[in-house]
Amino acid sequence: MADSRRIVVTGMGAVSAAGVGAAALWEAARDGRSCVGETHFIRPYRGRIRISAQVQDFDPAAYLTSSVLPFCDPVTQYLLVAADEAIAQAGLTSAKPMGPRTATIIGTGVGGMHTLENGLHLTLVEQGRPDPLTVPRLIPSACPSMLSIRYGSMGPCFAVASACSSATQAIGIGLHLIRSGLVDRAIVGGTEDCVTNSAMLAWEALRVLTPDSCRPFSKGRNGMILGAGSAVFILEEAELARARGAEALVEIAGYGTSADAKDPVRPDAQGAAACMRNALADASIDPSEIDYVNAHGTGTTANDATESEALGIVFGDQLAKLPVSSTKPIHGHALGAAGALELVVTIGAVRENVAPPTINWREADAKCPVDAVPNEARPMPIRTALTNSFAFGGINASLIVRRAFAA
Amino acid sequence: METKALDHTELANQIIDVIVKEGMVDREKATLDATIESLDLKSIDIVMILTAIEEKFDVYIPMDGPFHEAKKIGDLIDAIAAYIIKEKN
Repeated sequence: MADSRRIVVTGMGAVSAAGVGAAALWEAARDGRSCVGETHFIRPYRGRIRISAQVQDFDPAAYLTSSVLPFCDPVTQYLLVAADEAIAQAGLTSAKPMGPRTATIIGTGVGGMHTLENGLHLTLVEQGRPDPLTVPRLIPSACPSMLSIRYGSMGPCFAVASACSSATQAIGIGLHLIRSGLVDRAIVGGTEDCVTNSAMLAWEALRVLTPDSCRPFSKGRNGMILGAGSAVFILEEAELARARGAEALVEIAGYGTSADAKDPVRPDAQGAAACMRNALADASIDPSEIDYVNAHGTGTTANDATESEALGIVFGDQLAKLPVSSTKPIHGHALGAAGALELVVTIGAVRENVAPPTINWREADAKCPVDAVPNEARPMPIRTALTNSFAFGGINASLIVRRAFAA
Repeated sequence: METKALDHTELANQIIDVIVKEGMVDREKATLDATIESLDLKSIDIVMILTAIEEKFDVYIPMDGPFHEAKKIGDLIDAIAAYIIKEKN
Protein backbone atom coordinates (compact mmCIF):
# COMPACT_ATOMS: atom_id res chain seq x y z
CA MET A 1 0.00 0.00 0.00
CA ALA A 2 2.79 2.42 0.89
CA ASP A 3 4.53 3.75 -2.18
CA SER A 4 8.09 4.98 -2.36
CA ARG A 5 7.37 8.30 -0.66
CA ARG A 6 8.47 7.98 2.95
CA ILE A 7 7.40 10.60 5.44
CA VAL A 8 9.62 11.85 8.23
CA VAL A 9 9.23 14.23 11.17
CA THR A 10 11.82 16.99 10.97
CA GLY A 11 10.60 19.13 13.85
CA MET A 12 8.27 18.99 16.82
CA GLY A 13 7.15 21.25 19.60
CA ALA A 14 4.75 21.17 22.52
CA VAL A 15 3.04 23.14 25.23
CA SER A 16 1.56 21.02 28.01
CA ALA A 17 1.15 20.73 31.74
CA ALA A 18 4.86 19.87 31.73
CA GLY A 19 5.59 23.37 30.42
CA VAL A 20 6.81 24.76 27.13
CA GLY A 21 8.78 22.40 24.91
CA ALA A 22 8.59 18.88 23.54
CA ALA A 23 11.57 17.89 25.70
CA ALA A 24 9.78 18.92 28.91
CA LEU A 25 6.81 16.73 27.99
CA TRP A 26 8.89 13.71 27.01
CA GLU A 27 11.11 13.95 30.08
CA ALA A 28 8.09 14.15 32.42
CA ALA A 29 6.62 11.07 30.70
CA ARG A 30 9.91 9.14 30.72
CA ASP A 31 10.63 9.99 34.35
CA GLY A 32 7.07 9.26 35.48
CA ARG A 33 6.67 12.77 36.84
CA SER A 34 2.98 13.65 37.05
CA CYS A 35 1.96 17.17 36.08
CA VAL A 36 -1.47 16.82 37.71
CA GLY A 37 -2.45 19.35 40.32
CA GLU A 38 -5.14 21.61 41.71
CA THR A 39 -6.87 23.40 38.85
CA HIS A 40 -6.83 27.17 38.69
CA PHE A 41 -10.31 28.41 37.71
CA ILE A 42 -11.03 31.99 36.74
CA ARG A 43 -14.50 31.84 38.35
CA PRO A 44 -15.73 30.12 41.51
CA TYR A 45 -15.95 26.38 40.86
CA ARG A 46 -18.67 24.21 42.34
CA GLY A 47 -17.54 20.84 40.99
CA ARG A 48 -16.26 18.07 43.23
CA ILE A 49 -13.29 17.10 41.13
CA ARG A 50 -10.71 19.87 41.03
CA ILE A 51 -7.60 18.12 39.76
CA SER A 52 -6.34 18.32 36.19
CA ALA A 53 -3.17 18.53 34.13
CA GLN A 54 -3.67 22.19 33.29
CA VAL A 55 -1.25 24.40 31.38
CA GLN A 56 -0.12 26.77 34.12
CA ASP A 57 2.28 29.71 34.30
CA PHE A 58 2.09 30.17 30.54
CA ASP A 59 2.55 33.79 29.50
CA PRO A 60 1.50 34.10 25.85
CA ALA A 61 2.86 37.64 25.62
CA ALA A 62 6.35 36.22 26.14
CA TYR A 63 6.01 34.39 22.80
CA LEU A 64 3.40 36.15 20.67
CA THR A 65 3.12 39.74 19.51
CA SER A 66 0.25 42.10 20.29
CA SER A 67 -0.84 41.98 16.64
CA VAL A 68 -1.45 38.22 16.84
CA LEU A 69 -2.68 37.75 20.42
CA PRO A 70 -6.20 39.26 20.06
CA PHE A 71 -7.01 36.50 17.55
CA CYS A 72 -5.82 33.72 19.82
CA ASP A 73 -7.80 31.64 22.24
CA PRO A 74 -5.44 29.75 24.60
CA VAL A 75 -5.62 26.76 22.22
CA THR A 76 -4.20 28.90 19.41
CA GLN A 77 -1.59 30.41 21.71
CA TYR A 78 -0.29 26.97 22.70
CA LEU A 79 -0.42 25.88 19.07
CA LEU A 80 1.60 28.81 17.72
CA VAL A 81 4.24 28.42 20.43
CA ALA A 82 4.50 24.67 19.80
CA ALA A 83 4.66 25.28 16.04
CA ASP A 84 7.44 27.86 16.38
CA GLU A 85 9.48 25.25 18.24
CA ALA A 86 8.78 22.63 15.55
CA ILE A 87 9.59 25.03 12.71
CA ALA A 88 12.88 26.02 14.36
CA GLN A 89 13.90 22.40 14.95
CA ALA A 90 13.10 21.60 11.32
CA GLY A 91 15.50 24.36 10.28
CA LEU A 92 12.70 26.34 8.68
CA THR A 93 11.70 29.95 9.21
CA SER A 94 8.54 32.00 9.11
CA ALA A 95 10.46 34.61 7.11
CA LYS A 96 10.03 32.62 3.91
CA PRO A 97 6.45 31.56 3.04
CA MET A 98 6.00 27.79 2.92
CA GLY A 99 3.86 28.14 -0.19
CA PRO A 100 1.18 25.98 -1.80
CA ARG A 101 2.96 22.64 -1.33
CA THR A 102 2.58 22.79 2.47
CA ALA A 103 -0.61 21.65 4.20
CA THR A 104 -1.79 22.79 7.63
CA ILE A 105 -4.01 20.31 9.46
CA ILE A 106 -4.78 20.60 13.16
CA GLY A 107 -6.99 18.48 15.37
CA THR A 108 -9.09 19.98 18.14
CA GLY A 109 -12.15 18.57 19.82
CA VAL A 110 -13.85 21.86 20.58
CA GLY A 111 -11.61 24.75 19.50
CA GLY A 112 -11.79 27.93 21.55
CA MET A 113 -13.50 26.61 24.67
CA HIS A 114 -12.26 29.48 26.85
CA THR A 115 -13.51 32.06 24.35
CA LEU A 116 -16.83 30.23 24.11
CA GLU A 117 -17.31 30.04 27.86
CA ASN A 118 -16.17 33.59 28.53
CA GLY A 119 -18.39 34.86 25.70
CA LEU A 120 -21.45 33.06 27.03
CA HIS A 121 -20.80 34.28 30.56
CA LEU A 122 -20.35 37.84 29.35
CA THR A 123 -23.44 37.89 27.13
CA LEU A 124 -25.88 35.72 29.09
CA VAL A 125 -24.90 36.24 32.72
CA GLU A 126 -23.44 39.72 32.68
CA GLN A 127 -25.61 40.91 29.77
CA GLY A 128 -22.49 42.48 28.31
CA ARG A 129 -21.41 43.30 24.80
CA PRO A 130 -19.32 40.59 23.13
CA ASP A 131 -15.73 41.13 22.11
CA PRO A 132 -15.82 41.65 18.32
CA LEU A 133 -13.12 39.00 17.87
CA THR A 134 -15.13 36.33 19.68
CA VAL A 135 -16.04 34.47 16.50
CA PRO A 136 -12.64 34.43 14.77
CA ARG A 137 -11.09 33.34 18.06
CA LEU A 138 -13.42 30.48 18.96
CA ILE A 139 -13.82 28.72 15.60
CA PRO A 140 -11.90 25.42 15.57
CA SER A 141 -10.42 26.36 12.19
CA ALA A 142 -8.74 29.40 13.75
CA CYS A 143 -6.09 26.90 14.86
CA PRO A 144 -4.87 25.81 11.40
CA SER A 145 -5.68 29.22 9.87
CA MET A 146 -3.48 31.15 12.29
CA LEU A 147 -0.66 28.71 11.53
CA SER A 148 -1.09 29.09 7.76
CA ILE A 149 -0.97 32.87 8.15
CA ARG A 150 2.13 32.68 10.36
CA TYR A 151 4.12 30.48 8.00
CA GLY A 152 2.58 31.28 4.62
CA SER A 153 1.49 27.67 4.11
CA MET A 154 -1.02 27.88 1.26
CA GLY A 155 -1.87 24.21 0.68
CA PRO A 156 -4.85 22.38 2.17
CA CYS A 157 -5.75 23.92 5.52
CA PHE A 158 -8.42 22.61 7.85
CA ALA A 159 -9.31 21.50 11.35
CA VAL A 160 -10.17 17.94 12.25
CA ALA A 161 -12.81 17.62 14.95
CA SER A 162 -13.08 13.99 16.01
CA ALA A 163 -13.02 14.46 19.77
CA CYS A 164 -10.17 12.44 21.28
CA SER A 165 -8.98 11.15 17.90
CA SER A 166 -8.70 14.64 16.35
CA ALA A 167 -4.91 15.08 16.54
CA THR A 168 -4.07 11.56 15.46
CA GLN A 169 -6.37 11.88 12.46
CA ALA A 170 -4.91 15.29 11.57
CA ILE A 171 -1.39 13.85 11.64
CA GLY A 172 -2.46 10.78 9.66
CA ILE A 173 -4.21 12.84 7.00
CA GLY A 174 -1.11 15.00 6.65
CA LEU A 175 0.95 11.86 6.17
CA HIS A 176 -1.38 10.62 3.44
CA LEU A 177 -1.55 13.99 1.67
CA ILE A 178 2.25 13.96 1.37
CA ARG A 179 2.33 10.32 0.37
CA SER A 180 -0.26 10.93 -2.34
CA GLY A 181 1.93 13.66 -3.81
CA LEU A 182 -0.60 16.41 -3.22
CA VAL A 183 1.83 18.28 -0.95
CA ASP A 184 5.47 17.88 0.11
CA ARG A 185 5.20 19.10 3.66
CA ALA A 186 2.51 19.27 6.34
CA ILE A 187 2.28 21.19 9.59
CA VAL A 188 0.16 18.88 11.73
CA GLY A 189 -0.81 18.31 15.34
CA GLY A 190 -3.51 19.03 17.85
CA THR A 191 -4.54 21.53 20.47
CA GLU A 192 -7.12 21.65 23.27
CA ASP A 193 -7.96 23.28 26.55
CA CYS A 194 -11.23 22.20 28.08
CA VAL A 195 -10.02 22.85 31.60
CA THR A 196 -12.74 25.44 32.20
CA ASN A 197 -15.61 25.63 34.70
CA SER A 198 -18.37 24.40 32.41
CA ALA A 199 -16.32 21.76 30.58
CA MET A 200 -14.95 20.27 33.80
CA LEU A 201 -18.50 20.09 35.21
CA ALA A 202 -19.69 18.42 32.00
CA TRP A 203 -16.92 15.81 32.19
CA GLU A 204 -17.67 15.22 35.85
CA ALA A 205 -21.33 14.66 34.94
CA LEU A 206 -20.25 11.87 32.58
CA ARG A 207 -18.66 10.11 35.57
CA VAL A 208 -15.39 9.48 33.85
CA LEU A 209 -13.14 11.77 35.93
CA THR A 210 -11.19 10.23 38.76
CA PRO A 211 -11.59 11.98 42.10
CA ASP A 212 -8.09 10.95 43.19
CA SER A 213 -5.62 9.29 40.86
CA CYS A 214 -5.54 8.11 37.25
CA ARG A 215 -4.21 4.54 37.09
CA PRO A 216 -4.61 3.08 33.59
CA PHE A 217 -4.85 -0.72 33.18
CA SER A 218 -4.67 -1.14 36.96
CA LYS A 219 -7.17 -2.84 39.19
CA GLY A 220 -9.06 -0.17 41.10
CA ARG A 221 -8.84 2.43 38.35
CA ASN A 222 -11.69 4.90 38.53
CA GLY A 223 -11.35 7.42 35.75
CA MET A 224 -9.30 9.89 33.83
CA ILE A 225 -7.68 13.26 34.45
CA LEU A 226 -8.36 16.10 32.03
CA GLY A 227 -5.29 17.59 30.40
CA ALA A 228 -4.60 20.45 28.02
CA GLY A 229 -1.96 21.61 25.61
CA SER A 230 -0.75 21.36 22.08
CA ALA A 231 1.86 19.58 20.01
CA VAL A 232 2.92 20.25 16.43
CA PHE A 233 5.00 18.25 13.96
CA ILE A 234 6.61 19.10 10.66
CA LEU A 235 6.07 16.19 8.30
CA GLU A 236 8.12 16.09 5.12
CA GLU A 237 8.74 13.76 2.25
CA ALA A 238 12.00 12.07 3.24
CA GLU A 239 13.99 12.80 0.08
CA LEU A 240 13.07 16.47 0.08
CA ALA A 241 13.95 16.76 3.76
CA ARG A 242 17.28 15.07 3.11
CA ALA A 243 17.96 17.31 0.12
CA ARG A 244 17.68 20.42 2.26
CA GLY A 245 19.82 18.90 4.97
CA ALA A 246 17.09 18.45 7.56
CA GLU A 247 17.51 15.74 10.19
CA ALA A 248 14.77 13.11 10.30
CA LEU A 249 13.72 12.61 13.93
CA VAL A 250 11.63 9.55 13.09
CA GLU A 251 9.61 8.16 10.23
CA ILE A 252 5.82 8.10 10.45
CA ALA A 253 5.35 4.75 8.79
CA GLY A 254 1.61 4.19 8.99
CA TYR A 255 -1.78 5.59 9.82
CA GLY A 256 -5.02 3.73 10.41
CA THR A 257 -8.50 4.86 11.24
CA SER A 258 -11.90 3.23 11.64
CA ALA A 259 -15.39 3.85 12.96
CA ASP A 260 -17.07 1.47 15.40
CA ALA A 261 -20.46 2.49 13.99
CA LYS A 262 -22.05 1.24 17.21
CA ASP A 263 -22.45 3.52 20.20
CA PRO A 264 -22.02 7.25 20.95
CA VAL A 265 -19.97 6.68 24.10
CA ARG A 266 -19.20 2.99 24.60
CA PRO A 267 -15.94 1.84 23.00
CA ASP A 268 -15.83 -1.29 20.86
CA ALA A 269 -12.90 -3.72 20.73
CA GLN A 270 -13.52 -4.77 17.13
CA GLY A 271 -13.47 -1.17 15.89
CA ALA A 272 -10.26 -0.41 17.80
CA ALA A 273 -8.64 -3.60 16.51
CA ALA A 274 -9.61 -2.76 12.93
CA CYS A 275 -7.99 0.64 13.38
CA MET A 276 -4.67 -0.81 14.59
CA ARG A 277 -4.72 -3.37 11.76
CA ASN A 278 -5.31 -0.59 9.25
CA ALA A 279 -2.24 1.23 10.59
CA LEU A 280 -0.13 -1.94 10.38
CA ALA A 281 -1.29 -2.54 6.80
CA ASP A 282 -0.60 1.08 5.91
CA ALA A 283 2.97 0.68 7.20
CA SER A 284 3.22 -2.73 5.48
CA ILE A 285 4.42 -4.37 8.68
CA ASP A 286 3.55 -7.40 10.76
CA PRO A 287 2.26 -7.00 14.35
CA SER A 288 5.42 -8.73 15.57
CA GLU A 289 7.45 -5.72 14.46
CA ILE A 290 5.81 -3.43 17.04
CA ASP A 291 8.12 -3.02 20.04
CA TYR A 292 6.04 -0.64 22.15
CA VAL A 293 2.47 0.69 22.29
CA ASN A 294 1.58 4.08 23.70
CA ALA A 295 -2.02 3.30 24.58
CA HIS A 296 -5.06 5.52 24.57
CA GLY A 297 -5.25 4.24 28.18
CA THR A 298 -7.56 6.82 29.71
CA GLY A 299 -7.86 5.08 33.07
CA THR A 300 -11.62 4.60 32.76
CA THR A 301 -13.08 1.19 33.46
CA ALA A 302 -14.43 0.82 29.95
CA ASN A 303 -11.60 2.15 27.79
CA ASP A 304 -8.77 0.17 29.30
CA ALA A 305 -10.64 -3.15 29.26
CA THR A 306 -11.80 -2.60 25.67
CA GLU A 307 -8.38 -1.42 24.48
CA SER A 308 -6.76 -4.48 26.11
CA GLU A 309 -9.24 -6.73 24.33
CA ALA A 310 -8.55 -4.98 21.03
CA LEU A 311 -4.78 -5.34 21.53
CA GLY A 312 -5.37 -9.05 22.17
CA ILE A 313 -7.27 -9.36 18.88
CA VAL A 314 -4.40 -7.71 16.97
CA PHE A 315 -1.34 -9.09 18.77
CA GLY A 316 -2.62 -12.46 20.01
CA ASP A 317 -0.06 -14.41 22.03
CA GLN A 318 2.55 -11.74 21.41
CA LEU A 319 0.63 -9.29 23.63
CA ALA A 320 2.06 -10.80 26.82
CA LYS A 321 5.55 -9.68 25.78
CA LEU A 322 4.56 -6.31 24.33
CA PRO A 323 5.02 -3.26 26.58
CA VAL A 324 1.83 -1.14 26.52
CA SER A 325 1.87 2.00 28.61
CA SER A 326 -0.35 5.01 29.12
CA THR A 327 1.26 8.34 29.93
CA LYS A 328 -2.08 10.06 30.55
CA PRO A 329 -1.59 10.12 34.36
CA ILE A 330 1.36 12.41 33.62
CA HIS A 331 0.06 14.90 31.02
CA GLY A 332 -3.65 14.23 31.43
CA HIS A 333 -6.15 13.38 28.73
CA ALA A 334 -5.80 16.32 26.38
CA LEU A 335 -8.82 15.24 24.28
CA GLY A 336 -8.37 16.65 20.77
CA ALA A 337 -4.68 17.23 21.46
CA ALA A 338 -4.12 13.85 23.12
CA GLY A 339 -2.76 12.10 20.04
CA ALA A 340 -0.29 14.91 19.43
CA LEU A 341 1.03 15.00 23.01
CA GLU A 342 1.32 11.22 22.93
CA LEU A 343 3.10 11.26 19.58
CA VAL A 344 5.77 13.46 21.23
CA VAL A 345 6.07 10.78 23.91
CA THR A 346 6.11 7.93 21.38
CA ILE A 347 8.81 9.66 19.33
CA GLY A 348 10.81 10.11 22.55
CA ALA A 349 10.42 6.41 23.30
CA VAL A 350 11.72 5.44 19.86
CA ARG A 351 14.59 7.94 19.88
CA GLU A 352 15.81 7.12 23.38
CA ASN A 353 14.86 3.42 23.47
CA VAL A 354 12.87 3.79 26.67
CA ALA A 355 9.30 2.63 27.28
CA PRO A 356 7.77 5.30 29.55
CA PRO A 357 5.89 3.97 32.57
CA THR A 358 2.21 3.78 33.46
CA ILE A 359 2.39 5.52 36.81
CA ASN A 360 -0.04 5.02 39.72
CA TRP A 361 -0.44 1.38 38.65
CA ARG A 362 -1.29 -0.80 41.66
CA GLU A 363 -2.12 -4.34 40.64
CA ALA A 364 -3.08 -6.37 37.60
CA ASP A 365 -6.68 -6.41 36.45
CA ALA A 366 -7.81 -9.61 34.74
CA LYS A 367 -9.73 -7.43 32.27
CA CYS A 368 -6.50 -5.69 31.22
CA PRO A 369 -4.03 -8.47 30.42
CA VAL A 370 -1.26 -6.17 29.19
CA ASP A 371 2.28 -5.44 30.35
CA ALA A 372 1.58 -1.85 31.37
CA VAL A 373 5.23 -1.00 32.17
CA PRO A 374 4.11 -0.32 35.74
CA ASN A 375 5.57 2.67 37.52
CA GLU A 376 9.15 2.44 36.23
CA ALA A 377 10.45 3.37 32.78
CA ARG A 378 11.99 0.47 30.92
CA PRO A 379 15.08 0.90 28.76
CA MET A 380 14.71 -1.46 25.80
CA PRO A 381 15.28 -1.41 22.06
CA ILE A 382 12.32 0.32 20.39
CA ARG A 383 12.53 0.40 16.64
CA THR A 384 8.84 0.66 15.86
CA ALA A 385 6.00 1.88 18.05
CA LEU A 386 2.23 2.21 17.80
CA THR A 387 0.15 4.98 19.36
CA ASN A 388 -3.62 4.84 19.74
CA SER A 389 -6.42 7.38 20.07
CA PHE A 390 -10.05 6.40 20.53
CA ALA A 391 -12.90 8.88 20.63
CA PHE A 392 -16.52 9.25 21.64
CA GLY A 393 -18.67 8.41 18.68
CA GLY A 394 -16.50 5.37 18.02
CA ILE A 395 -13.84 7.14 15.96
CA ASN A 396 -10.48 5.40 16.19
CA ALA A 397 -7.05 6.44 14.94
CA SER A 398 -3.56 4.95 15.22
CA LEU A 399 -0.10 5.94 14.04
CA ILE A 400 3.06 3.89 13.61
CA VAL A 401 6.40 5.53 14.36
CA ARG A 402 9.63 3.99 13.09
CA ARG A 403 13.24 4.82 13.87
CA ALA A 404 14.59 7.06 11.14
CA PHE A 405 16.88 5.25 8.75
CA ALA A 406 20.47 6.46 8.46
CA ALA A 407 20.84 9.39 6.11
CA MET B 1 -34.35 -3.61 61.82
CA GLU B 2 -37.89 -3.65 60.52
CA THR B 3 -37.84 0.06 59.89
CA LYS B 4 -34.61 -0.25 57.98
CA ALA B 5 -35.99 -3.13 55.90
CA LEU B 6 -39.06 -1.06 55.08
CA ASP B 7 -36.85 1.89 54.14
CA HIS B 8 -34.94 -0.32 51.83
CA THR B 9 -38.09 -1.56 50.10
CA GLU B 10 -39.44 1.94 49.72
CA LEU B 11 -36.10 3.11 48.48
CA ALA B 12 -35.89 0.19 46.06
CA ASN B 13 -39.27 1.14 44.57
CA GLN B 14 -38.21 4.73 44.14
CA ILE B 15 -34.98 3.62 42.51
CA ILE B 16 -36.93 1.37 40.13
CA ASP B 17 -39.03 4.41 39.20
CA VAL B 18 -35.85 6.20 38.19
CA ILE B 19 -34.47 3.20 36.29
CA VAL B 20 -37.73 2.85 34.36
CA LYS B 21 -37.81 6.55 33.47
CA GLU B 22 -34.16 7.26 32.78
CA GLY B 23 -33.34 3.87 31.30
CA MET B 24 -36.49 3.95 29.16
CA VAL B 25 -37.44 0.38 30.08
CA ASP B 26 -40.85 -1.20 30.56
CA ARG B 27 -41.81 -1.30 34.22
CA GLU B 28 -42.95 -4.94 34.05
CA LYS B 29 -39.53 -5.92 32.74
CA ALA B 30 -37.65 -4.06 35.45
CA THR B 31 -37.69 -6.89 37.98
CA LEU B 32 -34.97 -7.50 40.53
CA ASP B 33 -33.83 -10.58 38.64
CA ALA B 34 -33.69 -8.89 35.24
CA THR B 35 -30.14 -8.44 34.02
CA ILE B 36 -28.87 -5.03 33.01
CA GLU B 37 -27.87 -6.56 29.70
CA SER B 38 -31.33 -7.98 29.02
CA LEU B 39 -32.82 -4.51 29.49
CA ASP B 40 -30.22 -3.13 27.07
CA LEU B 41 -29.01 -0.66 29.69
CA LYS B 42 -25.69 0.76 28.49
CA SER B 43 -23.06 2.60 30.48
CA ILE B 44 -24.49 5.96 29.49
CA ASP B 45 -27.93 4.81 30.72
CA ILE B 46 -26.37 3.97 34.07
CA VAL B 47 -24.80 7.45 34.13
CA MET B 48 -28.23 8.99 33.46
CA ILE B 49 -29.79 6.84 36.19
CA LEU B 50 -27.12 7.67 38.77
CA THR B 51 -27.37 11.37 37.96
CA ALA B 52 -31.16 11.29 38.40
CA ILE B 53 -30.71 9.43 41.71
CA GLU B 54 -28.31 12.14 42.87
CA GLU B 55 -30.89 14.82 42.02
CA LYS B 56 -33.76 12.96 43.61
CA PHE B 57 -32.03 12.04 46.88
CA ASP B 58 -29.58 14.93 47.05
CA VAL B 59 -26.58 12.66 47.45
CA TYR B 60 -23.29 12.32 45.64
CA ILE B 61 -22.57 8.91 44.17
CA PRO B 62 -18.90 8.58 43.24
CA MET B 63 -18.07 6.90 39.99
CA ASP B 64 -16.10 4.07 41.53
CA GLY B 65 -17.88 1.55 43.68
CA PRO B 66 -19.92 -1.57 43.11
CA PHE B 67 -22.02 -0.14 40.27
CA HIS B 68 -19.74 -1.48 37.56
CA GLU B 69 -19.95 -5.00 38.93
CA ALA B 70 -23.77 -5.05 39.04
CA LYS B 71 -25.22 -7.68 36.72
CA LYS B 72 -28.87 -7.57 37.74
CA ILE B 73 -31.27 -4.75 38.52
CA GLY B 74 -31.39 -6.05 42.10
CA ASP B 75 -27.59 -5.67 42.41
CA LEU B 76 -27.77 -2.15 41.05
CA ILE B 77 -30.57 -1.20 43.44
CA ASP B 78 -28.71 -2.70 46.41
CA ALA B 79 -25.56 -0.79 45.51
CA ILE B 80 -27.42 2.48 45.11
CA ALA B 81 -29.67 2.00 48.16
CA ALA B 82 -26.71 1.10 50.38
CA TYR B 83 -24.98 4.25 49.25
CA ILE B 84 -27.99 6.48 49.87
CA ILE B 85 -28.56 5.01 53.35
CA LYS B 86 -24.86 5.45 54.16
CA GLU B 87 -24.87 9.05 52.93
CA LYS B 88 -28.07 9.95 54.73
CA ASN B 89 -26.79 8.54 58.00
